[in-house]
Amino acid sequence: MEDNLSDIVVGLMMAVFGLIGLFLVAGAADAEMYVFGLALSAFAVCFDFGLIRRYYDRQDVARAAVREHTHV
Amino acid sequence: MSDGVLAARPVIYNDAVVKKFVIATMFWGIVAFLVGVYIAAELAWPSLNLGLSFTNFGRLRPVHTSAAIFAFGGSALLGTSMYVVQRTCRARLFGGDALADFVFWGYQFFIVMAALSYVMGFSQSKEYAEPEWHIDIWLTIVWVAYLLVFLGTIMKRTEPHIYVANWFYLAFIVTIAMLHIVNNAALPISLYSAKSYSAYSGVQDALVQWWYGHNAVGFFLTAGFLGMMYYFIPKAAGRPVYSYRLSIVHFWTLIFLYIWAGPHHLHWTALPDWTQTLGMAFSIMLWMPSWGGMINGIMTLSGAWDKLRTDPGLRFSVTAVGFYGMSTFEGPVMSVREVNALSHYTDWTIGHVHSGALGWVAFITFGAMYYLVPVLWGRKALYSTRLASWHYWISTLGIVLYIVSMWVAGIMEGLMWRAYDKFGFLQYSFVESVVAVHPFFVIRMLGGVFFLLGGLIMVYNLIRTVTSPTTELPRQGLAAPALAANLGVAGA
Amino acid sequence: MFIRHEFFEKNAILLLIGTLLTVAVGGIVEIVPLFTIETTVEHVEGMRPYSPLELRGRDIYVREGCYLCHSQQIRTLRDEVERYGHYSIAAESMYDHPFQWGSKRIGPDLARVGGKYSNDWHYAHLENAQEVVPESLMPHYAFLAETPIDPSDIADRMRTLRTLGVPYTDEQIADAKADLATQADPNADSAKLLARYPKANVVPGDGHRVTEMDALVAYLQMLGTLVNFADTNTERLQQ
Repeated sequence: MEDNLSDIVVGLMMAVFGLIGLFLVAGAADAEMYVFGLALSAFAVCFDFGLIRRYYDRQDVARAAVREHTHV
Repeated sequence: MSDGVLAARPVIYNDAVVKKFVIATMFWGIVAFLVGVYIAAELAWPSLNLGLSFTNFGRLRPVHTSAAIFAFGGSALLGTSMYVVQRTCRARLFGGDALADFVFWGYQFFIVMAALSYVMGFSQSKEYAEPEWHIDIWLTIVWVAYLLVFLGTIMKRTEPHIYVANWFYLAFIVTIAMLHIVNNAALPISLYSAKSYSAYSGVQDALVQWWYGHNAVGFFLTAGFLGMMYYFIPKAAGRPVYSYRLSIVHFWTLIFLYIWAGPHHLHWTALPDWTQTLGMAFSIMLWMPSWGGMINGIMTLSGAWDKLRTDPGLRFSVTAVGFYGMSTFEGPVMSVREVNALSHYTDWTIGHVHSGALGWVAFITFGAMYYLVPVLWGRKALYSTRLASWHYWISTLGIVLYIVSMWVAGIMEGLMWRAYDKFGFLQYSFVESVVAVHPFFVIRMLGGVFFLLGGLIMVYNLIRTVTSPTTELPRQGLAAPALAANLGVAGA
Repeated sequence: MFIRHEFFEKNAILLLIGTLLTVAVGGIVEIVPLFTIETTVEHVEGMRPYSPLELRGRDIYVREGCYLCHSQQIRTLRDEVERYGHYSIAAESMYDHPFQWGSKRIGPDLARVGGKYSNDWHYAHLENAQEVVPESLMPHYAFLAETPIDPSDIADRMRTLRTLGVPYTDEQIADAKADLATQADPNADSAKLLARYPKANVVPGDGHRVTEMDALVAYLQMLGTLVNFADTNTERLQQ
């Protein structure tokens, strides 16, 4: 329960940071801001994919537990 | 797991994030030592600067300090605090796994971005606060998430009392937040430009910076690591903290007094005299709570001194407290204006910093790592206590070489700069002092090489601890209650 | 006392607030008066904001981490005053965002390096310090001479500083690009530049473009030259 809520809040937050990163890249006045913006949006995408992966991993574990239970 | 354990409804701790921080601590430790050795070599042989903008000492030095303080020290603090707060509160980390992971990856992102920005030529030039405004904002966000995780876990604790280690960790978190926000107040030249100008100027900026700078030492490198001391030393020694009263008195006096000490970085400068005097007075007073902490840490071993022979991790922790006592005595001495007139601007300061950073911060971290890795990865013991012993002695030798060479170099510089000949003229040109300290710069670099070598031995030992079949727990070992308590998490 | 300490030990929010109040005191007592006490920064003749080229030079000084080896703060000690010149006063860094006092002298103090050496000496020394001073530990900064200054954001930089309290006039900001070019061109008419920024040092440049090296030399050559200490005395500095 707590994990699902946490996933949604943090996931949305990271999506916003990823967008901000893209804006920084688009407007960048110097190399540093360009690199930072790109890195920020790449980081946000990777992080959110990680969250999605772990969500399904948890589901798999739960399903496996249920299956084991019904077999016994 | 056995039924007995299940009946007690154990809290399943989030140790996955702690493991990540442990790995990051090891990794950044090696990076910090390596860059340190390289820039020490640049000072001994300047051709190593290579004439490239991004390999010059001026750009690499902040990489070294940030890697040591924020990457190595910070990962150790965040990781151990998350380990300690869960166990002493008997509660899983607040905010779910996603928030804890955000703190971990967000913090690593901060470190990489900061280091990259220095070599690309972006720096606020405020020591230990070099990252530009956009990276500062990012760190603020991560830090708020960290505070949320830590404080939230304390709030949902199932223990009535908040353990003393958590007071120190909490003081570290909130004070660093305050210092970071105030010192980094700056205005960027445009929203899309990384370049900014500090909100303060001249003398005010100088004091804000050293109020920050000294308390980066006081709260990042001291209060946080005292939290580590208050958990891992009693745990490894199997003894309770020596004095509960002392821990109360020394906690409140330490955090109250530390914050005043900043002006001792600005003696004899254009900072008003009254501020310098206040800074010096409080720096001297600070000696007392510092030694209060040292006594509390070392005396915790009374009745368990024999463990120093058998537990190399504990040996690191206790030696760390010894170095802590030494540097917190040296510090007040150097804060006296007359001593500072000689020591300031010289390598004595560099030696002092490293007796704290290598002797205290790194050693207490090594102690915690040697304790944590077998516990977190469910191993019965370290792969090799002999290797840990080697690490201990090589690193200690490295520290001794480092601080002794810097004492000699620093005092020599101070004396040469103020020496007069018999006609009343200054005896030495500046560059003569540069030539004179060369041998000591070489010795300092050697000290760094020893310390790095020790670090590599530790990394090898810890990797083998996790992977070697010889450290595997026997299967029935899981049933032992003590082990089960430790491992309740490892399976999750 | 120790019984009442339970108060903090059983309430995380109280512990948090108690800690925050405890650590706030020292900073408030020491820092706030520096902004309010009139005598903290002396009133002296001659201080002016940096010229556009000097400002860019200063930004490069900050960027390259020069402050890590060079202080810009001469302490009130006899040997320092004899070695480097009059001790530094707070007014001299009043327009410095951020300050560059430094904390370590791997090289000498630079607070009054302005005018001590010729422009040519600085160019040669930055290019390859060991050719000028064989024992020097300084890295080479030849790459600065290869990098042209981008003047497009100079007005932004000055406006930002004006927001923070540096008294740049509208005219100074409007003419910033021209002033920047003039200071790196000995053949240009520098009368206006010098009227706006007295004692500014015109650097030789290479004739067609302004490089980062030009900017850094212009900055180094004005360090510590603005206040005329022959005109003032200790009593006036103490006010």
